[in-house]
Amino acid sequence: MNTMRAYYDRYLPWALGIAFLFGLLVFPFYQRESPYWVYVGANALFYAILASSWALLAGYNGQFSFAHMAFMGLATYASGIVGREAGIWALNWSPALSIPFGVLVAGVVGLLIGYLCLRLRSTYLALFTIAFAEILRLVFKAEVDLTGGPNGLYLKTFNLPFLEGLTRYASTYAPMYYTMLAVFLFSLVVMYALVNSRYGIFFRAVREDEEAAAALGVHVVRVRILAFVVSSMIAGLAGAVFHHSPGIGIVVPDEMQIGRMSLVIAMAVIGGSNNLMAAAIGALFLHFALEWLQEIPMPDALMSWLQAHQATLEAWGFGLGEAGLKTNAWRMVAFGILLMVTLRFWRNGLVSPILERIMQARAKEEVARGRAAKAGKDLADVDKLVVDESPNEGGQ
Amino acid sequence: MRLELKKVVKQFGGLTAVNGVSFTIEGSQLVGLIGPNGAGKSTLTNLISGILKPTSGEIWFNGERIDGKPPYVIAARGIGRTFQVTRAFRRMTVLENLLTPGLAKFGNRKSRAQLEEEAMEILRFLTMDHLRWEYASNLSGGQQKLLELGRLLMMDPDLIILDEPFAGVHPKLQRTIYDYIKRVKARGKAIILISHDMESIFTLSERLLVLNFGTLIADGPPEEVKENPEVIEAYLGKDEEEDQFLPTAA
Amino acid sequence: MVATLLHFVPAQMWLITPEFILRLLAEGLLIGLIYSLMALGLTLIFSVLGIVSFSHGEFYMIGGYVVYLFLQKFQNSLPRALTGIGALLAAMLVTFAIGVVFERLFLQPMARGEVDRPNEYAILTTFGLAFFLQYLMLGLMGPFPKKARRFFDLPVFDAGLIQATKASLKIGNITLGAGRLIAGLIALLALLAMLYFMFKTWTGRALQATSQDRQAAAVVGINPMNMNTLAFGLGAMLAGLAGAVLVSVYSWVPWVGVIASSKSFVIIVLGGMGSIPGSLLGGLIIGVVESLGTGLFPDPVRAQAYRDVFGLVIFALVLLVKPTGLFGRKL
Repeated sequence: MNTMRAYYDRYLPWALGIAFLFGLLVFPFYQRESPYWVYVGANALFYAILASSWALLAGYNGQFSFAHMAFMGLATYASGIVGREAGIWALNWSPALSIPFGVLVAGVVGLLIGYLCLRLRSTYLALFTIAFAEILRLVFKAEVDLTGGPNGLYLKTFNLPFLEGLTRYASTYAPMYYTMLAVFLFSLVVMYALVNSRYGIFFRAVREDEEAAAALGVHVVRVRILAFVVSSMIAGLAGAVFHHSPGIGIVVPDEMQIGRMSLVIAMAVIGGSNNLMAAAIGALFLHFALEWLQEIPMPDALMSWLQAHQATLEAWGFGLGEAGLKTNAWRMVAFGILLMVTLRFWRNGLVSPILERIMQARAKEEVARGRAAKAGKDLADVDKLVVDESPNEGGQ
Repeated sequence: MRLELKKVVKQFGGLTAVNGVSFTIEGSQLVGLIGPNGAGKSTLTNLISGILKPTSGEIWFNGERIDGKPPYVIAARGIGRTFQVTRAFRRMTVLENLLTPGLAKFGNRKSRAQLEEEAMEILRFLTMDHLRWEYASNLSGGQQKLLELGRLLMMDPDLIILDEPFAGVHPKLQRTIYDYIKRVKARGKAIILISHDMESIFTLSERLLVLNFGTLIADGPPEEVKENPEVIEAYLGKDEEEDQFLPTAA
Repeated sequence: MVATLLHFVPAQMWLITPEFILRLLAEGLLIGLIYSLMALGLTLIFSVLGIVSFSHGEFYMIGGYVVYLFLQKFQNSLPRALTGIGALLAAMLVTFAIGVVFERLFLQPMARGEVDRPNEYAILTTFGLAFFLQYLMLGLMGPFPKKARRFFDLPVFDAGLIQATKASLKIGNITLGAGRLIAGLIALLALLAMLYFMFKTWTGRALQATSQDRQAAAVVGINPMNMNTLAFGLGAMLAGLAGAVLVSVYSWVPWVGVIASSKSFVIIVLGGMGSIPGSLLGGLIIGVVESLGTGLFPDPVRAQAYRDVFGLVIFALVLLVKPTGLFGRKL
């Protein structure tokens, strides 16, 4: 192994990480002519936080929750309600106080739901969390006095003077963008600290085999609830901050619907749900891709064909005339296909294998050395008979 | 180390899998647990390790009643076990597999580096140190079995229950497992060994428990048990069951 | 809260008459039959493939749209009853075909054991299909609600106690809309046909055998892979049929399936996963509970909003308290 290669392997992750961070930091300056894209960037960061915290719960701990968006909404509504000036439970708290309160509510409810879900496995857990998310959404929609109903709840936005100054140099949406970036980096730091602690290993051990982990002394109840609470609180934080930021200031119950949740799941899965960073990058990338696709006009040939046959299609009852030609549904169709193909052929997502390759140069080297050692005479005995064994063994 | 079962009963619906089993294991004994298929060996193991709760009866370990406690508490008290079908954490590396029980036991009291050092020592003993970064799913069935035994060493319990450690393992690899059992015994641990491999169980164990239809029909030194008419009938009395000495298909 | 509750109760009291409750019961049972039909499809899929299809509601949605499109095209060129039958058949055919293709492409590899972590894969891949179908139909049909016209009429007669016009049926003081009545009757027929198929025909028995013991079924010459495909296709078809009969009752948007599928989840969990009688009874229970719950909820404004909550609350409770449901054997 030559030294150049070793340096490369060692410092590449750092170099890429710093470049990525730098890119995120200067983005609003780079895009100062087009505030729309900075707004998209803030949205993308919001989704990146949600996708990576979902990955913590589903990818690391194996709890397939569909209630992640519900926790996001719960924290936002809780902080919005106590922040109101008038109405039921209005306390007129400032966002600095109401946002932590909302996050706390998400954490407490997450604790409760996590505890209730302890007995439920994969499909049952998915079903239960869908039910919980839908109940919450429908209740928020119905309790008009408390939540503003389907029209949404208006929120007090926060103003950060030191960021407001930036609007002159960067974009109007710079304060919102940088707030989301701060939350994004904060939650990544928190999650990585957790994942690199012993709990990271427990999370995965419980995901792989809960019974075996318990038999080895892992406190499975604590581990599962911890994963649920932390990921719910991070989702709540992302939601509460995002909706309170200047430029939004409202939350509607339909943001908690299963459709939005499936978007987050799709982003995490396409990025790679077994890796926090991969899920986050996947979400950033896909959100931008979706926005960008919206700007691309339909190919002329297709457009003219559709226009020529519009009458026929409409006689059949298709809705192309109303909104079909311009609808942005088609980008989501492509997204759906991408999701299914990724699932089928790249189980670990599209971004995650690349990241693992970059990050685990050392591990790969060890494995390679280990494989080479198999040829060594000390181990020849054991390994030969290992090869002899039937391949079916150990599978289920 | 003292494990005591008092009239333990486990029923599944109308079926009585374990029917009033009582025995005591004290000190560093190697106890063999045998019995025909469906005799209740696995159920008994699951009862002791807390995966199942007994319908009635009591299980005591080191002066503490443990039946009904969750498995991770029982594990923390010092009972470790393997599973009949290997249950390695497949999407974790070999090293991480070993670290799991270490971290669960010591928490922050031992540094990660210290635990990794211990894990490497165990892997060297199991002749698997070259595989430490490999995902467990890439190991062969026999290696996964060794990995499971390695996790137990890391956990360092007072009582180890080995459920069919020889099943599906290449005969030559059994030597490593033999060494393993001797090493564990040398540390002063008690072992309950469940196996269909009569030869190894008769050579290894100092005491044999024989289960049949959920009832303990014999308890004593292997030579004595071999002569026990009830045991002979349980194993040989029936005409058709030729395959009872073979490993069970799970 | 209590004050609001008290405020609404007296104003509503005059409505709660025996006739009113009977009408709610009848409507609940009719809708319940359709729920049962959908849940039966999900049960069939679960018992043979061992997975819960999260795209079940989207087959329901597709079924409705196919009927709508079929009626748009043919309602003037074919006799009325024939159009109706043709529309239903078209809906069944299309949903069956989509189900079969999806099963072959995405679920067969799982059944062959080529996929890691099959539980997770099954959830995500059916979810992915739901996502895809929803947006595909949004692209094709647009976001605005569509409503198909009623495609069967009631025979007009007057037998004293029971009177029927084209659009409604009157039994005593209770009036039922023809749309729901016909939807319920078709669902009942389909349920009976399905039960006949499952219990009396060779293929149906083969499906059941596969659901009980795949290896044993394979030994007696049943190809379990084909049974998987058939079960998924039939399950999708039943959902499609449920949508097809309801498209003339409700207005149709690309995301109607979300609520419909969550209802089928409620039912299969309530009835016990994989239990046929459970899904039949569960459907009726949920239909009645919803109907009564909505009708008797003290605040009429919120009642409509809470309509879907009743079932979901039952669902969450069953999952927590008795995950095996009414008829389920074992988790």
